[in-house]
Amino acid sequence: MAAPFRTQADEAGAVQPVRLWDPVVRLTHWGIALVVLANAVLTEGGSRIHVWAGWAGLALLLLRLVWGLVGTAEARFSAFPPDPAAALRHLMLLARGRVEEHPGHNPAGAAMAYALWAMLAVLTASGIWMTGGKSPMQLDAQRAAVAAGDWSVMVAEDRDDDDKALGDAVEEVHEVAGNLILFLVLLHLGGVVAESRALRRNLVLPMLFGPRE
Amino acid sequence: MTEPVPKAKTGVTRRLSNALAAFLVVQSLAAVFFVGDVIGDLMADPGSIHFITEALVTLVLVMGVVFGAVALRRTVEQMRAQQTALAAASGALAQVIDRQFAAWGLTPAERDVGFLALKGLDVAEIAALREAAQGTVRAQLTRIYAKAGVSGRAQFAAFFVEDLLGQGLPVDPA
Repeated sequence: MAAPFRTQADEAGAVQPVRLWDPVVRLTHWGIALVVLANAVLTEGGSRIHVWAGWAGLALLLLRLVWGLVGTAEARFSAFPPDPAAALRHLMLLARGRVEEHPGHNPAGAAMAYALWAMLAVLTASGIWMTGGKSPMQLDAQRAAVAAGDWSVMVAEDRDDDDKALGDAVEEVHEVAGNLILFLVLLHLGGVVAESRALRRNLVLPMLFGPRE
Repeated sequence: MTEPVPKAKTGVTRRLSNALAAFLVVQSLAAVFFVGDVIGDLMADPGSIHFITEALVTLVLVMGVVFGAVALRRTVEQMRAQQTALAAASGALAQVIDRQFAAWGLTPAERDVGFLALKGLDVAEIAALREAAQGTVRAQLTRIYAKAGVSGRAQFAAFFVEDLLGQGLPVDPA
């Protein structure tokens, strides 16, 4: 605790060492980051790989949410309930460079996590809607059938005008949610940099490699 | 100050929890793709043997993910408890040794040499570490043994090991 500023932990006396982060948090964090980056930049929207990656992202998101219920103490939702007021207070402290140590997520980081999870849920839900609720395996089978000259599978896909309008709206939601996630990611990166500077320790390393030996 | 044996042990637990987490991720990927397929089949033909079998398999898979997550949480917690206990124990032992050294009236230099001797370093190594002549170290060790009232290095080390075994000499410096 060679920090030049006083923290809550200092005043309370000995601080319990929290060993961040556990392997599930790290794997889901970087896995989802990879999927978001890939589907935003590399893959073509609606392409086979885009859909597969989206489903993989959904799996990682669901695992993280399960881990939020049964996981380690600092990974559980109860450890960082959403609290916008506390998040704002934390950001104000951060702006003045006087941040408090938090054992796990700080209030602003927690708000970011919930915002990202909500957007990821919207993104995957709209994406699944756009592919007609079919799993990647079923889409592959359908593609194979069409390629073999069997167009009958496409018949069911015909929709009337109302459905088309709804489909366009969902597509719009998918696009907006995707862009919003990229914006949140940029904010997240900025927050990590600012927080690392204020706390004078690298916050990225524990997320990459876990607790120091 | 980290002892080699426990460190290796926590390293194993750490690798185990990392492997379990990776396995959990693969399992969740499989589960989600399966669930997607099952929902598709449900819309196509509910009640078919194919659907029922697939639904059962998926249910088991999802349960496996949840149970796996709980087991992993236990492993991570166990690893942390081990590390905490280890830190507490090694801190407590260091304190016991420190108090005993004080009770014997060792000088600061003798305490250093005594600690290094307890850690298993031989005369040459202690001399090199302290940038002192081997003769000096040997003389210091002799004085330490005399003050402690032990016959030599083996008894000196045994003094503290005996404490750990639960029937130790009274540590209280009176």
